[in-house]
Amino acid sequence: MEKSDEVVAVAERVTVVPVAPPLRRGRRWPLGAALAITAVATAGLLLAGTAWPDQPAVRAWRTVCLAITVQALPFLLLGTVLSGAINAFVPADLFTRVLPRRPVLAVPVAGAAGAVLPGCECASVPVANSLIRRGVTPAAAFAFLLSAPAINPVVLTATAVAFPGSPAMVAARLLASLATAAVMGWLWLWLGREEWLRPGLRHRHTGHQHGHSRLHEFRLGFQHDFLHAGGFLVLGAMAAATFNVAVPRSVLDAFSGSPWLSVLFLAGLAVLLAVCSEADAFVAASLTGFSPVARLVFMVVGPMVDLKLIALQAGTFGRAFAWRFSTATTVVAITAGVLIGGLLL
Amino acid sequence: MKRPVQSLLLTLTGLGLLHTALFTDTYLRYVKAGLRVPLIASGAALLLLGLTAAVARERRGGSGRGHEHGSGHGGGQGDGGDHGHDHSVTPRIAWLLFLPALSLTVWAPPALGAYTASRSGAKPVTVQKKGFDPLPAASPVPLTLTDFTKRVQQDRSLAVKGRAVQLTGFVTPAEEGDGWYLTRIIFTCCAADSQTVKVRMYGTEAPPADSWLAVTGTWHPRGALGTRTAEAALDVTAAQPVAQPVNAFTDDLPLRPS
Repeated sequence: MEKSDEVVAVAERVTVVPVAPPLRRGRRWPLGAALAITAVATAGLLLAGTAWPDQPAVRAWRTVCLAITVQALPFLLLGTVLSGAINAFVPADLFTRVLPRRPVLAVPVAGAAGAVLPGCECASVPVANSLIRRGVTPAAAFAFLLSAPAINPVVLTATAVAFPGSPAMVAARLLASLATAAVMGWLWLWLGREEWLRPGLRHRHTGHQHGHSRLHEFRLGFQHDFLHAGGFLVLGAMAAATFNVAVPRSVLDAFSGSPWLSVLFLAGLAVLLAVCSEADAFVAASLTGFSPVARLVFMVVGPMVDLKLIALQAGTFGRAFAWRFSTATTVVAITAGVLIGGLLL
Repeated sequence: MKRPVQSLLLTLTGLGLLHTALFTDTYLRYVKAGLRVPLIASGAALLLLGLTAAVARERRGGSGRGHEHGSGHGGGQGDGGDHGHDHSVTPRIAWLLFLPALSLTVWAPPALGAYTASRSGAKPVTVQKKGFDPLPAASPVPLTLTDFTKRVQQDRSLAVKGRAVQLTGFVTPAEEGDGWYLTRIIFTCCAADSQTVKVRMYGTEAPPADSWLAVTGTWHPRGALGTRTAEAALDVTAAQPVAQPVNAFTDDLPLRPS
């Protein structure tokens, strides 16, 4: 009984968590804990003794929610291990040495370099931030930020597993994501303003620092990234499971009937569901009523724009940046998805 | 989230994965069998990491907190407004991970069943282009629900006509009326992408929902056999309760637990 009540309580908090700016997390701890305890206690009092957890819908919700989490955990773990290893063991100035000096060229190269950082979008935000602080031009760092969660081998493998027998889907996802990342980088070069960025991005953890055991740093970085991303994964799984169980198939069919509406609907869904990029292919595969193009758009938009990412970006780069960047990225990603999906699928 | 809680969370998640994939078969309710090895590996890695974190903290003793918080990870600097990705502060969102960890170890949710099956449309059956092999001589012939549906709707040689077949699945009551379906839920990857195969049953009262049955019977004549108009339906002659097969969520003939 008690545990089911926790489920409810946290589900109620769900709406609050991603919106809260990820700053000052440490300081607010006691308040947050107090809120959580109050929520759990209230839910416990309200639900104690009811047959609520035995409702078939609730059981199906729990099954689906856990299934998404279990399915994604190994992928998430692999991603965080690798990104932790890169953070701790790759020399700090490697990226600056490798990238071309001219920003216009650096953008696509950085976008393609996203393939070497296997991780999900939560990991790529701090990495992009550290790249900027190490002198990489912001445009290139943003191209990297957008492409890394979408085109790395872990995600592409997951996509191939989720869409067995349709390699075109993997290729289309790779191309559309790369195109979006490059276009956004160039857009930043053309229209972007430094003052949208949070002033004085301070030096933080990324990379190896003198006087610390690399293994120790690796373990800490890994632990942090895994717990952080894992929390968001559970959140995404909850949202997806709610959607999966609560929304009757007929509503989906209403949208899946019209090609344009279905594309916009799934793009919006990708933003709202905030599924980790390492798991979103499986969610896309489950949306069986929709056209391949709409599902591709779901997978292109998802890793680049979603609620948790907007929150992360607002915390890291500043709010003025986050909403402009996310809006523009959504438009570019939908366009790229439709164009490339139309050609390949 | 404090450090001891983090170690606890990692350990618990690792134990949960090991419990579901190594010590029991419950992982098959959620994902496909192929994910077993990655799940065990992940579980072991998380368990190891959680224990390492706990031991490392023990060893460092009193100075441990100071070291991990103060030096090098940005914990002590700044005005408090710039802690976006500080390793010593794990965001509160991580608390959510306790739910699957506890759920896996002590409160595993059940497999999907009649509720899900009744709410999803029937999985579209693929068109078999290369024609059908003759049915095996055994009587009754064991068939999967998908095979039976294909035979009924696509097999021009009408091989199932008059043949006794044996189908295995669980009971899903029909939404209207008192009829029922024999159903299988099939995962592509995990329970989130499940699809349902249904065959309508005639001739007996609806057994309790979610019970697994091996049903023997012949095709219920409705529509023209071998065409799209034929209904995937069975006149039941015998229905025997069976244990849920090991491979409950695949599109294969049932494997019995050994």
